[in-house]
Amino acid sequence: MMQSNQWIPLFPEQASSFAWQVDLLYGYLIVISVVFSIPIVAAVFYFGIRYREVERYSTPDEMHGSMVLETVWSIIPFVVSMTIFLGGAIVFYNQFTPPADSMDVYVVGKQWMWKIQHESGQREINELHVPVGRNIKLTMTTEDVLHDFDVPAFRTKVDVVPGRYTYMWFQPTKPGKYRLFCAEYCGLNHSGMGGWVYVMEQRDFDNWLSGNVSGQTPVEAGKDLFENKLGCASCHAGGATQRGAKLEGIYNEEIKLVGGATVKADDNYIRNSILNPASQVVEGYQPIMPTFKGQVTEEQLNSLVVYIKSLSPTAAGATSSSPPATAANTVPASGNTNRSTNPQANANAAIRGTSNPNAPNSNR
Amino acid sequence: MATHVGEHNDHGHAHAPGLQHQFEDMKQQEESVSIGMWMFLVQEIMFFGGLFTAYLVFRSKYPMAFAVGSNHLDAFWGGLNTLVLIVSSLTMALTVYYAQKGNRNMQVILILLTMFFGAVFLGVKAIEYTDKWNHGTVPITGLNKVVREGHGDSHASKPIEFSIGPKAYAAEAAGGEEHAYVNPRGEFQWNDYDLIEKKVAEQKADPNAYILTTDEKNGYFSYGELDRDKFRDKVRIFYWIYFVMTGLHALHMVVGLGLMTWLGWMAFRNTYSAEYYMPVEMSGLYWHFVDIVWIFLFPLLYLLGRHFIAGGH
Amino acid sequence: MQTQEAIRPSITDKPRQNYLTNGYTIKSWLLTKDHKRIAIMYLISVSAFFMMGGLYAAAIRLELLTPASDLLESGTYNKVFTQHGILMIFFFLIPSIPAVLGNFLIPLMIGAKDLALPRINLLSLYIYWIGGGLVLFALMQGGVDTGWTFYAPYSTTFSNTYVMLVGLGIFVNGFSSILTGLNFIVTIHTMRAPGMTWFRLPLFVWAHYATSLVMILGTPVIAITILLLALERAGGIGIFDPAIGGDPILFQHLFWFYSHPAVYIMILPGMGVISELISNFSRKKIFGYEFIAFSSIAIAVFGFLVWGHHMFVSGQSMYAGLVFSFLTMVVAVPSAIKMFNWAATLYKGSISFDTPMLYAIGFLGLFLIGGLTGLFLGAMGLTVHLTDTYFVVAHFHYVMVGGQVIAYLGGIHYWWPKMTGKMYSEFWGKISAMLVFIGFNLTFFPQFILGYIGMPRRYASYPEEMQVLNIFSTAGASVLGVGLVMPLIYLGKSLINGKPAGDNPWMLPGLEWRTQSPPPTENFDVMPVVTWEAYEFGEENGLDLEAARRRDREMASDFQKN
Repeated sequence: MMQSNQWIPLFPEQASSFAWQVDLLYGYLIVISVVFSIPIVAAVFYFGIRYREVERYSTPDEMHGSMVLETVWSIIPFVVSMTIFLGGAIVFYNQFTPPADSMDVYVVGKQWMWKIQHESGQREINELHVPVGRNIKLTMTTEDVLHDFDVPAFRTKVDVVPGRYTYMWFQPTKPGKYRLFCAEYCGLNHSGMGGWVYVMEQRDFDNWLSGNVSGQTPVEAGKDLFENKLGCASCHAGGATQRGAKLEGIYNEEIKLVGGATVKADDNYIRNSILNPASQVVEGYQPIMPTFKGQVTEEQLNSLVVYIKSLSPTAAGATSSSPPATAANTVPASGNTNRSTNPQANANAAIRGTSNPNAPNSNR
Repeated sequence: MATHVGEHNDHGHAHAPGLQHQFEDMKQQEESVSIGMWMFLVQEIMFFGGLFTAYLVFRSKYPMAFAVGSNHLDAFWGGLNTLVLIVSSLTMALTVYYAQKGNRNMQVILILLTMFFGAVFLGVKAIEYTDKWNHGTVPITGLNKVVREGHGDSHASKPIEFSIGPKAYAAEAAGGEEHAYVNPRGEFQWNDYDLIEKKVAEQKADPNAYILTTDEKNGYFSYGELDRDKFRDKVRIFYWIYFVMTGLHALHMVVGLGLMTWLGWMAFRNTYSAEYYMPVEMSGLYWHFVDIVWIFLFPLLYLLGRHFIAGGH
Repeated sequence: MQTQEAIRPSITDKPRQNYLTNGYTIKSWLLTKDHKRIAIMYLISVSAFFMMGGLYAAAIRLELLTPASDLLESGTYNKVFTQHGILMIFFFLIPSIPAVLGNFLIPLMIGAKDLALPRINLLSLYIYWIGGGLVLFALMQGGVDTGWTFYAPYSTTFSNTYVMLVGLGIFVNGFSSILTGLNFIVTIHTMRAPGMTWFRLPLFVWAHYATSLVMILGTPVIAITILLLALERAGGIGIFDPAIGGDPILFQHLFWFYSHPAVYIMILPGMGVISELISNFSRKKIFGYEFIAFSSIAIAVFGFLVWGHHMFVSGQSMYAGLVFSFLTMVVAVPSAIKMFNWAATLYKGSISFDTPMLYAIGFLGLFLIGGLTGLFLGAMGLTVHLTDTYFVVAHFHYVMVGGQVIAYLGGIHYWWPKMTGKMYSEFWGKISAMLVFIGFNLTFFPQFILGYIGMPRRYASYPEEMQVLNIFSTAGASVLGVGLVMPLIYLGKSLINGKPAGDNPWMLPGLEWRTQSPPPTENFDVMPVVTWEAYEFGEENGLDLEAARRRDREMASDFQKN
């Protein structure tokens, strides 16, 4: 919905901080076009009428060219076009230089849908919820062919390219609902690959963010993440020949690491294995586990830890080294609006007491 | 004022041999066909230019893969082909000279020699392509030699030293790093990871040194370790470019041989003389062009590996 | 004197041997070396492709009457717009003016008997037929749905349509273009009549020279791009597939390196036609002849440097974008110079508004809008919003249809009497020119607005609020369609019972008008020697204007008497 009451809409809403610049540039170009067209059209009309032939096959006087005129009408268009170039360059620079404090959102296009994930882990399909007034940076790629994430109301778009990341940013300025289109032909359902961007007040956004509870217990949520969403099971649940270390029955056991050190498999061990797997590889296994830093929220980490604990029979009931206090309540305090912006700091803060996490033989 | 009395168009005056009806005189015809042939060659340059661009892009992205791929090409055969083509250009130039002199016998002999060298070139190419087929470096699955388990004639693809003659074959015969491999589906095979593993080790030892490019650091690795499959994919790109470029060039050589056949026949019938020799000169231009393209292809494809092994970037 | 004969009233004369009467067998046509016959065969072929492309366009506009994808399903719609683009661009726009008007007129305009390489010309026609045949065959088998731009990886890995076959057809067709360009360059260099110096050449010839440079240098690159696309599709090389190390953006670079200069192949000949129409129908030498001549060359050269302006949002770096945007602004300037010069030519002219002149004036207005909106799209910040929307569609239709097609129609009408010896109905000509102009604007102007409000290209279904503008557009398309079909009828009718035109119906000085209509096979009875400058309209140039006026008066009074 353009949210415009005009019968024939002419402009989409200006809903981002640099939209006015694009519209201004557009207006400038329209003005230039009119200013250049009027003399030419007027000249053609006037000359056409004034100098229409009076007598068939008459021979008007010869007219030689004019160096002055040629110079003038070469230089002026060139100068004007340079102003257009500069204006365009400045606006483009603004459109593609994300501010440092931008909130990250990750987008993956695929035929024929947009998969969007917020830093805090919330996933969306074909919809993007963002808070008003915040800088939002999209890091995007595609699973298959080229697509293009296009929001006309924000006046920005960029292609998504397989094999690399492309970036765009915007700062929404007006709450509302704005159309999202795919703007690079991608096959059968290209025209259907659209959606909506919902710009909300910050408070509503937080509510929305935290409202994405699935109603599962932490163990169920962890199991869901383990088996489905994060793909842990592909290496850690394959039985005797699996590539990943055995996780059943390891809780609070002594684990021997590559290089000879041993470590106790407590909550922090599990958490560290997810965020920094290369730092403590179990003996007999290869260091091939990818890190999930930045891909899991705190709640998800908690759920995973709780789930993995549940795989060890003695730990099932033990709450000695208690999981973070939010075990029964995966909803974070709603007042903490900065929580989602820096998982790195949160993760680091949680891993206390570890020496250099990158050293393979770190001792607790 | 507008009419010119002296010249009439066509049918009346004696034709110079080979003068086409649309031309006023031989000079105009010669000028026209010359410009025409040069324009044609310009567009051929643009045609190959696209492939050179692709080569440029991927060599900059994956130099090590290109190095090992190139290293496996036998510079002996490539060098021989270069020599053969240069000599054939000489015989071609001499053909033009003798056409201008109207010496029929020398023209025919030289054209035959040129064709002979062209055929040698194609023969060498056939040897090379067969070698690729044998070693499993044709980049299309199914177009390599199928080697089933247990067959004795299997041998690994490995770099061949740049030496000519007995030493090269002795090295092969001596075995080197022979190990049998099977290729039941005729897939693209690659078994030589020595250079890349050395470079990876160097890079790991000194992460700040410029040993591998950024694309290589992403493209060869999985989970921080060298992924042989991914490396092989990049080598495969090299072989694709090799086959497309040399294949297209060989196609142009075949066309050239056809041209020479026609030219030889016309020369045999004593068509060319001081008054009319442009077809020979134009065919010569085409032949020289095909030669020049090879002169560029040879170092870029065959000598690249040695450049990297010697320490270049 | 030859020129006297040229303007001698031929109405009462016995028709003389001309290129049309010189042999009636199919073989005499299919194996001809006569550039004029080859041009006529091209005329029939490109018109056929134009009609086919037009049918696809009609399907598009009908589907877009409603927001939902109800007339055509998405898959079919995707094929329809792809094939509309391919047929129109490769088989109509690129060959049309050069292969029809250029082939026919360049030897006449420079005073030559034929092109330099007539058999190459015939080969070029054959190749065009073979390429076109391959594409038509592919369309009948099921067509392609990749968009005429064939972007990887969709075209290399994901599309299940006849990409290879269509690619082969376009590949083959490219050689037709190359050979035509090659022929023109050689001809213009070596076949000029005595006295026809470079700066006495008609601007039509200059325009074709510039076009031919682009054809020769650019077309091989699309050939190699298609070859690589085919190899990627067939054998999986991986140069466009990131999973094995390739780069899809490389495809875009290679593709647009040709396809941008290709648009100059389309428009430069059109500009050449317009130069002819404006100067001839104002009876005045074009203002700034050298500037127009050199601006054509400048456009051809700079046109090779701006391909990245199709890729501003593709993920290419900002710095590359800056360079391309700057150069795009630079390449706009020669076109602006031409516009001013054309308008200035009208000053103190003696302007007659025959049908070809109406097309020329229409061109001035439409190309103005098309060219200016090109600036919109060259400004980086703005183009981010406008890329891949209907704004781009409107822009390129303004320059290609409003520019090239209108110039082509103007040229066909202008040289029709020369090519066929018959005059068409001036009344219907004017009506059709006006319908085309009005219909065109009604069709494509709303699309600028649609683009700005965000309607993306290549969409079979769109949001409801965009329907009104789409309806306007389709309404305009029906008017445009009528205007474009009408010439078929009245031009065809003129062949049957049109008035004989006379050798020089408008008393114009160009060499092509100094010979019979239709010309004899050898073009001139006596090869001309040129001693006058280009575009000199006076009587001292051998144009017996008084006799022409007398003849007109006689004809008018005859008409009244009967």
